[in-house]
Amino acid sequence: MSFNPKIVAFLCNWCSYTGADLAGTSRMKYAPNIRIIRVMCSGRVEPTFIMKSFREGADGVIILGCHPGDCHYHEGNYKCLRRYHLLKKYFKQMGLEDGRLRLEWISASEGKQFAELVDEFTHQITELGPCRIKNTVETFA
Amino acid sequence: MSEIRIGVYVCWCGTNIAKMVDVEKVADEIAALQNVVIAKNYKYMCSDPGQDLIIQDIKEHNLNRIVVAACSPRIHELTFRKALENAGLNSYMFEMANIREQDSWVHTDRTDATKKAKSLIAAAVNRVRFHEALDKRTVDINPASMVIGGGIAGLTAALEIADSGKKVYLLEKTGQLGGHVAKIDLCYPYFQSAAQFVKPLISKVLKHPQIEVFFNAAVPEIHGYVGNFNAKVKVGSEEHELVFGNIIVATGLKTFNPSVIKEYGYGALPDVVTSLEFEQSLKNGQILTKAGKEPKNVVIIHCVGSRNEKYHHYCSRTCCMTALKYSNQIKSILPDSNVYQLYADMRAFGKGCEELYAETSRKNIVFMMFDQRGDLPVVSKAGTQDKCEMLVNFHELLSSTDVEVPADMVILMVGTEAHENAKEIARAVGISMCGNEFYIEKHPKLDPVATTTDGVYIVGGCQSPKDIPDSVSQAKAAAARILATICKGKVEVEVTTAVVNEDVCCGCQTCVKVCPYTAISYIEDRNVSYVNEVLCKGCGTCGSACPSGAIRCRHFTDVQILSQIEGLMEMVLIEDE
Repeated sequence: MSFNPKIVAFLCNWCSYTGADLAGTSRMKYAPNIRIIRVMCSGRVEPTFIMKSFREGADGVIILGCHPGDCHYHEGNYKCLRRYHLLKKYFKQMGLEDGRLRLEWISASEGKQFAELVDEFTHQITELGPCRIKNTVETFA
Repeated sequence: MSEIRIGVYVCWCGTNIAKMVDVEKVADEIAALQNVVIAKNYKYMCSDPGQDLIIQDIKEHNLNRIVVAACSPRIHELTFRKALENAGLNSYMFEMANIREQDSWVHTDRTDATKKAKSLIAAAVNRVRFHEALDKRTVDINPASMVIGGGIAGLTAALEIADSGKKVYLLEKTGQLGGHVAKIDLCYPYFQSAAQFVKPLISKVLKHPQIEVFFNAAVPEIHGYVGNFNAKVKVGSEEHELVFGNIIVATGLKTFNPSVIKEYGYGALPDVVTSLEFEQSLKNGQILTKAGKEPKNVVIIHCVGSRNEKYHHYCSRTCCMTALKYSNQIKSILPDSNVYQLYADMRAFGKGCEELYAETSRKNIVFMMFDQRGDLPVVSKAGTQDKCEMLVNFHELLSSTDVEVPADMVILMVGTEAHENAKEIARAVGISMCGNEFYIEKHPKLDPVATTTDGVYIVGGCQSPKDIPDSVSQAKAAAARILATICKGKVEVEVTTAVVNEDVCCGCQTCVKVCPYTAISYIEDRNVSYVNEVLCKGCGTCGSACPSGAIRCRHFTDVQILSQIEGLMEMVLIEDE
């Protein structure tokens, strides 16, 4: 059976979630692997949420927020960006490939960009193959 | 804690969801999840019978949590929250799974879409288990309003509100009121004089005791929330501090600059003019070329900058009818002239417009069609042997022939586009823009003048190109919405704010530093942080920053989101096995 990656996405309510809705309203098509969780702001996304997703069996996690300068809450996306870079530093130590986590900016009008990004990220994760951290954790648990 | 009893409702949305998601199968399988008492599917959950279904089940089956899997929560979350309230349940004991915009509409395989729907619903079910009742919070509405933009929409909105005795601050970036309408001679389709209705409107606004106009105003810095906004308005070196409860954005649009379309020769050939420039000569009562002669041949080119992938793909809406209006005016001022309409598509929708088209086409005016997707008409200087000033060459679509038209004057029907400072204004008031930099309404059909930011309304051309009646209608609609909230005196605000657990808080003040609204303060004698709920907008940044986990972001708590992740993945993994 071919590998069907599981992808968890955290989208901010004001820009990216609206952009994802726009992709729907415009009937754009993209890979069905993504599962979206809505948060009010990308600044709400805790590293715990990301690690939890991998722990539960996700093969990739993507966070989408408003473009720099456009955050509904002024600067939540910058806070998210800082945490993202910090978390990425630990990724290697935890045996996770760098490409499994991504942070991108999608505005409310970028339905097309959203659909393209989902396809691209799904492809990226498919190339990486299944994430084994879930099994590793269970072995040592 | 009492037993958790969840009701799940899977909407078909007619065929929108049902054709791509096996709604019956989904409901059956979700029914087996822990705490799910009933799981139903229904044709239109948002309809009255759909909502009644929820209300009845809550009463009959003693449900205390509801999940609706349907469209985006951005569309109907409030509808269903109301239904819960009607059934006597706290409206926050509700969660929505987006299986239309983010599932059935974007996937092509029914098995995949059904799988996805199940995992999204399972996540919602998992999440709703941890939902807690939140008390409604209301704040007083400041009865004053701010209107940004003094065009026809802004003027109308300001008057509508002020006439009911409420204060209006009207901000205009230029030194005069009236916007584009003040530059127009006659209006289509009935040829009324624009000045006749816009001038009295302006003088009424200027004299109105409840309206304060700020000319040459810069884009204000605005803070606060619905009911309680405050702004610093700069006019030259002066600075005015204003407080108000609602905002109407009526900033309009600007005309397209045709000099980027080289084929039309605007700027290079003196008698190629824009529609707005031609309007000015009509206002002056005479049509003359730059050399001061009456033009024998007038060519009107449509869709300049509109409906063209290179410039703007949208239709600017008012140009076709304005072009017809010009034909009529030219024919009545210069009866012997030849008028050529070079159109890409004639759009005559709206009251009286098709009639105007039919009437104009009987007046010896030549209508010719060019291909907007192919080569555009080329305007060039005529040779000395030609009996005209310019020549317009193009491929006529209907006859499929190359045509050369003589011209002494070329009128470019320039399209409209968003202002350069549209983004700056969007940021100031906290609203979003679509790809064309027009502002996005809350709901395209059911709430076209509101925005997702409570207390901020958009009217007129800043939302999309619009004619006068539509701009006026929107202005009046927004004014009515605002007056309704002022009448109530109070407005409900989000209660999904952050709260500090003082027993866990270590007083590190990380949250104080990350809060963009200075809503968190440090209480020294107790060594804890404190969230001012009125200032908190619920972004949750403090919650993710708190190192000791003392901050709870209501309705987006750690446990709610973590269990949502569990639900998502659980269903996926079961499916895989």
